[in-house]
Amino acid sequence: MVGLFGFIDKAIETFSKYALIVSIAIMLSLSLATIVFRWFNMTFMWMDPMIRHLVFLSAFLGGVLATGAKNHIGIDVASKILENKGWHSLNNNLRRLVDIAAIVVLVWLTKAAVSFVQMELEFGKEVMLGIHSGVLVMIIPFGFGLIAYRFFYNFVQTFSTKGQH
Amino acid sequence: MQLLPYAGILLLASLGLPIFIVMSALALVAFTFAEIDVSAVIVEIYRIASAPTLLTIPLFTLAGYIMAESKSPVRLLRLAQASLGWLPGGIAIVGVVICAFFTSFTGASGVTIIAIGGLLYPILSKEGYSEDFNLGLITTCGSVGLLFPPSLPIILYGLIAKVDIDRLFRAGIVPGIVIMLVLGFWAIKKGKSGNARQAFSFSELRGALWEARYELPLPIFVLGGIYGGFTTASEASAITLFYVIIMECFLYRDVSLTKDMPKIIGESMTLVGAILLILCCALGMTNYLVDEEVPMKILGMMKQYIDSKLMFLLVLNIFLLIVGCLMDIFSAIIVVVPLILPIANEFQVDPIHLAIIFLTNLEIGYITPPVGINLFISSFRFNKPVTTLYRASFPFLLLMLVALAIITYVPSLSLFWFN
Repeated sequence: MVGLFGFIDKAIETFSKYALIVSIAIMLSLSLATIVFRWFNMTFMWMDPMIRHLVFLSAFLGGVLATGAKNHIGIDVASKILENKGWHSLNNNLRRLVDIAAIVVLVWLTKAAVSFVQMELEFGKEVMLGIHSGVLVMIIPFGFGLIAYRFFYNFVQTFSTKGQH
Repeated sequence: MQLLPYAGILLLASLGLPIFIVMSALALVAFTFAEIDVSAVIVEIYRIASAPTLLTIPLFTLAGYIMAESKSPVRLLRLAQASLGWLPGGIAIVGVVICAFFTSFTGASGVTIIAIGGLLYPILSKEGYSEDFNLGLITTCGSVGLLFPPSLPIILYGLIAKVDIDRLFRAGIVPGIVIMLVLGFWAIKKGKSGNARQAFSFSELRGALWEARYELPLPIFVLGGIYGGFTTASEASAITLFYVIIMECFLYRDVSLTKDMPKIIGESMTLVGAILLILCCALGMTNYLVDEEVPMKILGMMKQYIDSKLMFLLVLNIFLLIVGCLMDIFSAIIVVVPLILPIANEFQVDPIHLAIIFLTNLEIGYITPPVGINLFISSFRFNKPVTTLYRASFPFLLLMLVALAIITYVPSLSLFWFN
């Protein structure tokens, strides 16, 4: 079972990495194209919202990678003190508590994001190239969902010696 | 009873719950208690997708990471050594200059200490500087340069405070130089007592200039493009990244487009994702606090004890130094700026000057014990106990406080461009 969880986590990691590479390539190309088109007095209204939504997507995908690398920005005073004192077991248990809290909040956020998507699908409008705002905001539950899963896998890993924090 | 969930969340924050989750949880709880549908938190999160300069964050950061992975640090170090190494304390000054350049591109993310520190440390040791001086200098310089364009914290501040980023870029230049001068004088003083200088060689300077010929136009792309009116900040970030890719992958061939680039994109976007998530998730909470007029309530309390701008600036410095000790710069900007902005406005502190004071304080926070992040990065990089870093960085902390006092109480250093 843990192997399956690990497989899914690895698949999320690989997907996020490649999606980020593609996003960056498109963002860069479109930004450069905007400058070049301006020389010829040409503007494409869809480019700007496309770039901004790609940055928005990248925020979540980067967050997915940060979760896997346990690299999120936090205050973390207590764990530094506990590590310095050598209280590894207590620190590990507190880390598990933090992971559980993170999962709870992320599931709550995902649920709220799904409600928002439903509202946008009903009351939103087309943003660019025939893409409806309801589709674009799906980035949010999708992103929070992936991050929640990775926190779950981090939590599972704390029970194996390899995954100890 | 309503305080209990907030207390629990803050306790979890101290245990290491990521800041973006802390901010989200606070917003979700606050909205629930206010009987507002929690999807309003998501509406606030989505608002970030309409921020016009958002693109600069991933692109400038990626450009900095690519340079850090290449041999740019070696080339620029050689150039700085050839041009400044003949001064008393010249090698240490070289360290300050080169770290400032790199930090402005990598956003004080610790990359400077990892990329430059390892190169600089043996050179400084060879030139006779003490271990404490070397460790202190490198640890401090890991965030020096944060006031120079296109620094990530400046961009983030502009986004949050809705201050023109182009103006902020300009405002930070002189205060950034003040910090470098203060550290430079210390390096000269230390250098005079040792042998820390090398003979000037024109041929070495020429060779170093030739070697770094492709890196030298970079500041022109950033500053020249924006202030020449040719590009916006977002476009400058795209041009910079494009140029850095061409330079490192095709001209110098230090970085492989297929082998190295995916790894570098992954590493840089991990930082970008972590920052942008905080930015997204904090919007709900900070807007809730602003709607509830929390800053005005704080202002009302403060006005009972503080009646002058000078006194306010002193209290602000103390407050921000404490914030800098406890929070990283990105979270601090996102969480604290919306709260202090209206208060500073009431005390007639210019928003651009406030930005520079804010960022300088947080720059100092990087080396302030107990949890200044540079102390831990240096501890990891040089395999020294963090307490050694506390001791080594202390004189630099005092120097930075001197620079902070100058920057805070001489506003014209930041604002003379606009008068």
